[in-house]
Amino acid sequence: MKETENFQTTLAAAACALLGTTLATRAAADEADKRWAFDSSLLYYGESDDRVQDISAMLSAQRSFGDERTLAATLTADTLTGASASGAIALDTPQTFTSPSGRAVYTTQPGDVPLDDTFLDTRFALNASWTQPLARLYTLSAGLGFSTEYDYTHLGANLSLARDFNKRNTTLSASVAWSQDDVDPVGGAPRPLSQMLDVGNSANKLGSDSKDVLDLLVGLTQVLGRNTVLRVNYSYSDSNGYLNDPYKILSVVDPISGDTVTRVPVGEGPTGVYVYESRPDSRTKQSLNAEVKHAFGARVLHVAYRFMTDDWGIDSSTAEARVRWPIGADSYIEPQLRYYTQNEADFYRASLVNGQALPQYASADFRLGDFDATTVGVKFGHRTASGNEWSTRVEYYQQSGQVPGDQIIGNQARREQYPDLRAVVVQFGYRFGL
Amino acid sequence: MKAVHLLVLGLSLAGCATVQPWERDVLARPEMSLDANPLDAAIDDHIYFSKEGSSGGRGFGGGGCGCN
Amino acid sequence: MGANPVSIKRGPCGVSLVRSHDHWAGRFAAMACPCDVLIEGGPQAQAKRMVDAIAECAWRIERKFSRYRPGSVVHYINDTAGTVVTVDDETANLLDFAATLTNLSQGRFDITSGTLRRAWTFDGGDRVPTQEQIDALLPLVGWHAVQWTRPVLRLRPGMQIDLGGIGKEYAVDAAAAIANTVAPGVSCLVNFGGDVAVVNARSDGQPWRVGIEKPDRLGTPAHVVQLYRGGIATSGDSRRFVLSGGQRYSHILDARTGWPVRNAPHSVTVTAETCTQAGSVTTLAMLQGENADAFLKSSGMDYWLQ
Repeated sequence: MKETENFQTTLAAAACALLGTTLATRAAADEADKRWAFDSSLLYYGESDDRVQDISAMLSAQRSFGDERTLAATLTADTLTGASASGAIALDTPQTFTSPSGRAVYTTQPGDVPLDDTFLDTRFALNASWTQPLARLYTLSAGLGFSTEYDYTHLGANLSLARDFNKRNTTLSASVAWSQDDVDPVGGAPRPLSQMLDVGNSANKLGSDSKDVLDLLVGLTQVLGRNTVLRVNYSYSDSNGYLNDPYKILSVVDPISGDTVTRVPVGEGPTGVYVYESRPDSRTKQSLNAEVKHAFGARVLHVAYRFMTDDWGIDSSTAEARVRWPIGADSYIEPQLRYYTQNEADFYRASLVNGQALPQYASADFRLGDFDATTVGVKFGHRTASGNEWSTRVEYYQQSGQVPGDQIIGNQARREQYPDLRAVVVQFGYRFGL
Repeated sequence: MKAVHLLVLGLSLAGCATVQPWERDVLARPEMSLDANPLDAAIDDHIYFSKEGSSGGRGFGGGGCGCN
Repeated sequence: MGANPVSIKRGPCGVSLVRSHDHWAGRFAAMACPCDVLIEGGPQAQAKRMVDAIAECAWRIERKFSRYRPGSVVHYINDTAGTVVTVDDETANLLDFAATLTNLSQGRFDITSGTLRRAWTFDGGDRVPTQEQIDALLPLVGWHAVQWTRPVLRLRPGMQIDLGGIGKEYAVDAAAAIANTVAPGVSCLVNFGGDVAVVNARSDGQPWRVGIEKPDRLGTPAHVVQLYRGGIATSGDSRRFVLSGGQRYSHILDARTGWPVRNAPHSVTVTAETCTQAGSVTTLAMLQGENADAFLKSSGMDYWLQ
């Protein structure tokens, strides 16, 4: 490299002499030199009522190799604590459940919606992708993903091809992604629709299981004008394998009172009849997603709409809007709004009725229920003199759902069957280059 | 491929002026990129994937997890 | 289309000034190419002063160093080749710089190689000279044959110098420096036909975005360079060459042999602290022919080859 330095120094000195100026050396703030771009984020997610809390850290690195070839990698680590609703209904009396490990019990107070036993889970994920031009107007992208947590491992790959038309005003893209996930639940995956058993009895617990997912996406990006760009994506997703949540249950209730059928455990165990959920072993989803970015001078508006439908009977609509408002030359504020609505899955059941034949599939997981959700948030960002950017984002998320009227039985009507989910998200970000 | 060209041409003609390469100053601004904040998008996708019944729609790059 | 003209001013020598959404765009012609000046914000009067000063600088340098203009220093030196000429500081600086480039390129770059033009006409035609024609001219080519002890210059009779290889980039840097004295600290991008310089970075933290043309598709930028500060220069063969026997002879002649450089890249773009440095590296790279890539790698500069 001595040769390089000599060449550069000689040339720089000669140019100096010619132009009669003191020229900045190569080391001084030359952002065009920065080939590595990093983006980092620290996130806190917390739900009300001692439910889930999550802290996560992400670091992504991107390196350009000239000629628009790019290597990108993202590392994520997060720690999840807290409990979420197990699917059992609230009662006027305390309820005891066997924990997922099968070695202990936990109790829910009267009137409370039962939550899973509190657990701690740490997840690590790594995603990497390579993008390069394949020929003039063609861009290829390939990626790999891996994540691991206590009871779950994911391995995935994706491939994408894009082609520009019309002086790069239009881009058509097609992508395919495939993933293989292995589930190894604490205590073993329970046989679907089998009863929750006493502590120490793992007769209905099977081992681990797996699922694979195939995703196809076709996208069109279209420049609508000097200030506007539109992207429309159609995606198709097919999941096969173990799609149950191994920790979710349903209460079996009396057909008149609507209260859970009681049970006397042998030693320690459940004080009611609870049954593990059962979902189909395949799920096909389709969605149409449209987003538009429009610049009003220095302000940028982003609106998006997504419609999703699947063969579990769930239809959902999502609408989002964000406005990025510059403050001075270095900062910006970006308020955000999101509205989401979905209807319940065909096999969603608030509870199962004792004496009736068991349905083939049933789940009381609120995430498959009928609910609306709203997110309100604001992001603030500031660019430093060296070109790096700090940002902060605060969001409030609220989910309000309801059990279908024909599924509310007896005493259930006077209790909160579908509690609101309220969560706060606080995020700090730092974007820098090297 | 010809069908694709026609489709694309149709969409392009549908009320969109062609923006010349030297007119792309606004579109070239980083905040005008549809993927301007990939980490934010990944975080949002992950949160909503674990709390709701739908997922994605924008593209790939995320991983799976045991959260849904 | 592009800019909304808030105000168009046409000066006596064809300088126009137009307001685009967040910057001023000045335009004029000099050195046989369109010259653009982009100025970040500020009042119109200031933009006008800057563009006028830049245009004046470009025209002054053109008048002084163009080999075509009867009143120019270069014309005078060429006309009086064989006699002793005393040059001023600015000319001496350019000659010193040219000498440095000749050393750095082991003689490939040479401002006295213009004489070879008598054998080569690069007009897209197919006339290729014979070795005898070249041999006849070689004694009149070579900085080693020039007596240069600043500020005194003496060429051999019949020799010619041509500052075209470094003049434009020098003019860009000089103009950018002048703009900085007229309006200190204001971010301004000077572009003389593809040779670019920015002295002050934009105050909004954004880079200037410069599109580099693809040589086979003139008019379509293949690459966008984000320039905060510094210079960009491009050398290429897209417009001047001789086509003969399926071979494309670029207009860049190796002064040591009298023949064009072989298998030079179609175009080289380099970014550096100044346009002069960028231009020097592109020129030296093209002179390396098929070794251009290796040369550019060892130069340590950022570059794009096509």
